Order: sequence, then structure tokens, then C-alpha cells
Amino acid sequence: MIFIAILIGCIVGVLVGVNAPMISYTYSSYLAIAIIAALDSVFGGITSVINKNFDLKIFVTGFFGNAILAILLTILGQKLNVDIYLAAIVVFVGRMFVNFAIIRRYYVDKWSNMVKKHEKKVSKIEE
Amino acid sequence: MKKKMKKGKITMIVTIGIVCFILALVMSMQFKIVNETDITSIENMRESELRAELANWKSKYEETNQQYEEVTAKIEEYKNNKQSNDETEKLVNEELEQVNQLLGKTDVQGEGIEITLRETDNEEISRITSDDLVLIINTLKGAGAEAISINDERIINMSDIVDINGSFIKVNGQRILAPYILKAIGNQSYMESALIGNGGPIDEMKKIGQDVSVQKVNKLKIEKYNKDIKMKYIQ
Repeated sequence: MIFIAILIGCIVGVLVGVNAPMISYTYSSYLAIAIIAALDSVFGGITSVINKNFDLKIFVTGFFGNAILAILLTILGQKLNVDIYLAAIVVFVGRMFVNFAIIRRYYVDKWSNMVKKHEKKVSKIEE
Repeated sequence: MKKKMKKGKITMIVTIGIVCFILALVMSMQFKIVNETDITSIENMRESELRAELANWKSKYEETNQQYEEVTAKIEEYKNNKQSNDETEKLVNEELEQVNQLLGKTDVQGEGIEITLRETDNEEISRITSDDLVLIINTLKGAGAEAISINDERIINMSDIVDINGSFIKVNGQRILAPYILKAIGNQSYMESALIGNGGPIDEMKKIGQDVSVQKVNKLKIEKYNKDIKMKYIQ
């Protein structure tokens, strides 16, 4: 069910986004930061699912809150003439790598366990 | 308990769906922007750089505008100059025309008289000679003629009127034949009276029986001298 919801959401979103009116190039940097923040939240969500402490409220608030905060920080940085969005990118992408590492470990462990079990089964049958 | 669980699950599904929708929407929009803003120079620039560039262009524009204004002012000046040049050209042209008229290099027109001299068949009466024509022309000149021609040969200051072998007359080096038609522009009554008055050349000619007639013409046309006036020795 969840996968269907994700799929439908993505497809509809792409369709609407492609047909949406153009946004000025000036705002695209804000959008980019928001996308990075949202992707970070998504990875965080997947990690929390793996760790079995997923909370929808935290996920949703993190998703929107991080994006909005990142945009605001970028705007502030432009007003101060400091590239704050670099810090946001470093933090978000760094966290994304950490989360991805956790996800990777989890699935690699799972896979190697499965392989082991299979080998055991095979050896048992051979015996 | 089970119902609550289901409700929670549905909200989760819906929320995650919405989240995915928003993420995909924003991402595709961003892709579109990045794709369509394909001007490399702009793509690689940040806003501050663009601002600097804009300021640069603005100053360039101002500079160019100033240059443009200067050039326009110059053009205006040249135009004024040209106008005064035109005026002087006009004056010079007028002068040239006057000189040409004086020289006899233009067709002229005006009131004047036409004198026709015909050769008579009578052997006793002497034929018309160049001396007669010269006399008439001198008289016309004395009476203030401004332009004279004989058989459409314009009389200018270099003109010659000569008898060749006592048989024919050359004017401007051109052989002319009777009847001789002299045209003169000037005061009609002065010229006429000078010619046919007592002791005038035509009066004398008539007395010896030559066929001469004088006619006043109000719109007399005299053709130009149609050869080059060459100065060989005047330096």
C-alpha cells in the first residue's frame, strides 16, 4: 500500500511539475536547497523505519520544517552576503550519506544472513 | 483498536503520498528551470555576479549613450555647415550662371528685334558683305543689345565675321548663307531707331536697294554659343 502511494505521488507530482509555470531563475536556488532538505528527510525516514522508531509526525515536520528552514537560511545568507546555503548543503548531504550508510549496512547484513541460511540449507540437504 | 490502527495507517499512507507528491513536484520544477535556463553564462553565475555584470553593462550603456549624443551633436554641426555650404554653393552657382550668360554659353530669351537681310537677284545692287553685318552688330551693341546671333551663330567676344573670297561669309568659323537673320535681345525701340534712323546702317542699305526688314519680337530666343571657349595663351 505504501509503495503504491509513493508511486502515485511521484508520478502525479512529476506530471504537475512538468506542466507547472516556470519559476524565475532567481528562486531556483531556494528550491534546490528545499529539495536537498526534503531528500535528507526522506533518507532519515527510511533509516528510522529500519531502526523501527519511525514517527509520522516527526517525519512530516522534519520534511517541511527542514525545507522551510533551509530556504529561510539561504535568504538570510543572501541578505548578509554569506553563503549559508553551503552549510545547509554540507549538513544535509552529510546526513544523507550517514543515513544511506545505515540503510546499506542493514540490507547488506540481511542479504548476507540470507546467503548464509541458504548455504546452511544446501549443506544440510547435501548431508 | 484494530480500527484505530487502520486509521493511523491510512493517514500515514496519505501523508507519505502527499510528501512524495510535493517532493516530485518541486524536483521536476527545479529540473525544468535548470534545463530551460540554458544560457551558460547565466547558468554559471550567481546573483551577485549578475549584478556586477549588470552594473558593468549599465556603465557601458551610459558611455555609449554619451558617445551617441556627442556624435549627434557633431552631425548637427555638420548639417549646419552643410547648410551654409549650400548657401555659398547657391551664390556661386548664380554667379556662374550670370557669367555663362555674359559669355553666351546659355540659351537666353527676352524681348528684342529680328533683322532679316535677303540677297536680291538684281545684279546692280551689291551683295551683303561681312562689313554690313559688322556694322549692324556694332550698332546693335551701341544700342545696348545684350545678346546677338546671326543665323543662330551666337556673337560672343571672340566671334569673327569675315568674308571669304568675296563670295560667302563665315561667322564663328561657320559658313552662313543668305538670308541672314540677326537676332538681338535688348531695348527694342533703342535698337530699332539706331538701325533704321537717319544714317543708320539699315537705312543706308535700304537706300541702296537691299532687302532688309526689321521686326520687333517680344519673346526672342537666342541659342547658346555651341563651341568650347579655349584659352591658349591666357595664363
